[in-house]
Amino acid sequence: MSRPSPLDPLRSAPTGTLWWRHGKLSLLLLRAPLLAAGILLLALLMASVASLMLGSAGLGPWDAFKAAFGHGEFATVFVVQELRLPRLLAGIATGAAFSLAGCLMQTLAGNRLATPGIIGIDNGATAFAVASVVGMGISLAPPVMALSGAVIATALAFGLSGGIGTRGYRFLVAGIGVGALFGAGTQLMLARVSIDAANSAYPWTVGSLNARDADSLTWLGLALLIGVPIALWLGRGLNTLRFTDRVATGLGQPVSRVRLITLWLSVVLTAAAVAVAGPVGMVALVGPEIARYLSRHKGVPLLASALAGALVMVLADLAGRTLLSPQEIPVGIVMAVVGSPYLLWILLRSPR
Amino acid sequence: MSAETMLDPRAMNSPADRHAAATTDTLRANELSLGYGARQRHVTVIDSLTLGLPDGKVTAIVGPNGCGKSTLLAGLARLQLPESGAVLLEGKDIHAYKRREVAQRIALLPQETHSPEGVTVHELVRFGRQPYQGALSQWSEEDQRLVAEAMAAADIESLADRELASMSGGQRQRAWIAMALAQQTPLLLLDEPTSALDLGHQIEVFELIQRLAHEEGKTIVMVVHDLASACRYADHIVAMHAGHVIAEGAPAEVVTPELVRKLYGVECRLIPDPDTGTPLLIGVRRTSERLSGSAT
Repeated sequence: MSRPSPLDPLRSAPTGTLWWRHGKLSLLLLRAPLLAAGILLLALLMASVASLMLGSAGLGPWDAFKAAFGHGEFATVFVVQELRLPRLLAGIATGAAFSLAGCLMQTLAGNRLATPGIIGIDNGATAFAVASVVGMGISLAPPVMALSGAVIATALAFGLSGGIGTRGYRFLVAGIGVGALFGAGTQLMLARVSIDAANSAYPWTVGSLNARDADSLTWLGLALLIGVPIALWLGRGLNTLRFTDRVATGLGQPVSRVRLITLWLSVVLTAAAVAVAGPVGMVALVGPEIARYLSRHKGVPLLASALAGALVMVLADLAGRTLLSPQEIPVGIVMAVVGSPYLLWILLRSPR
Repeated sequence: MSAETMLDPRAMNSPADRHAAATTDTLRANELSLGYGARQRHVTVIDSLTLGLPDGKVTAIVGPNGCGKSTLLAGLARLQLPESGAVLLEGKDIHAYKRREVAQRIALLPQETHSPEGVTVHELVRFGRQPYQGALSQWSEEDQRLVAEAMAAADIESLADRELASMSGGQRQRAWIAMALAQQTPLLLLDEPTSALDLGHQIEVFELIQRLAHEEGKTIVMVVHDLASACRYADHIVAMHAGHVIAEGAPAEVVTPELVRKLYGVECRLIPDPDTGTPLLIGVRRTSERLSGSAT
């Protein structure tokens, strides 16, 4: 029996992949998205430390790190543990959820502009969350209200466009209309309630990590804990969705089921994130784009998208907290300022 | 027109029909009706069609635009649920199989294939192994071998690490055929496999298709727009008009000036190709001109 040489083409992993085998189990992973996720994780760690260090009271990296685990002076520990750390965690969780939801929706519609924010899901969730805050209609907790709004907005966009269709254009246009409707609804509610009630709903209308609600954050954590593994498990099916439906079906993929689960996942993640931070939908556009660029457009970079979203959100919040200190710019506004030129660039650059 | 077809002895009792009676066809349509749209807007495209696709041969489905060729192919590939009747795969209703089981028996190359950014030839061909893989059994040495073989058969090995987006139409089509081959299916369904290709690449793809049937025993069903290419490269022709099969059999026997007139409304003469003996269309012109000419 001849022994295969280590350079035997049948035993070495295909170009650009990592091949792991153990008995009957085997994984074949594209190297580029993994590398991108690694780089983004490192950058996120650095941004996180910076976010714990910087603020009205500046700290050294080591002090900030120790204080996060409850060591050091009382005042330092209080600032880091009670103020900066929860805010950092909220930024990471919302950024990851928005961006992962964006990547899922873009893959589903086959269109990089089709993010939940543009399709009106953010606005639907916001309108309902604001309704609960200003005490209009049934007062459920913000996450539940946000989810109801997100589901209704999606159902409307879907129903009006008659499905996603080829390259998602009808869906996009219907979604933009639905989003505008919900946006107007939010403004109308704010105009009709007392100034105090309107004030308390303000963070939800611009997007801010300042007025987080602990319950909402718990729900978001739960959504991510369940959503990320489901998304990774869907990954192989999502990869075939990048081709046409007929190709995916011909390969034995249950295309409609994969699409339905992907859509639900995207809606739930977006709603949970809106309940915490308001409509910072721009993250869903910028995060996946960074992930795709870093992973050289290989596969559907789900993990890298989530990490890129978290990184962008943490950096945007850090900038909002420190640039005009002691005044604070809500993270939604920072994202809009950074994200809008970027959106224009996508629209204006020549197609390949 | 249908009475005329009924009276045409060649359409009714072609050698292919005898062949179909003698051997079993792995893929058959049995009184199949296919359509789309709901209620008032409903359109029946294929009406009660019965057809056997001979094993190990190249079958070309020909007919004018809108005759239901592509819809029939979609029905045969389990992409569309029949309104009545059934597609039988190995004698069993194709919708009684799981998607994955069908994908292990039938490979489909649709007319429109989208090549996403960043996908290389090798990556594309790897997708052909997906019907045999699971979430935790993603890649085996067998997969590796079969992908290499499929790329060799489609003569695309030298471009393994090139991105699809950067290749010519002919190269890309060979890559897609390699993906279908990696599926290791006895049946291969192709929807206008050469529609976007220049003459040189057309010949390349048709010769590959012929080789796959005649040397590897695959059953190939292709929708072809060009009757001349169908005559040249197919063993069996299925001529469709308005959702019905109006003739089927070997090209030399079924392709007649009458059939061409019925299908496309043009006049022509047919001569046997001096090299291959398959029919060649010459002197093609519009029917109306000829009719007005004969009236005077």
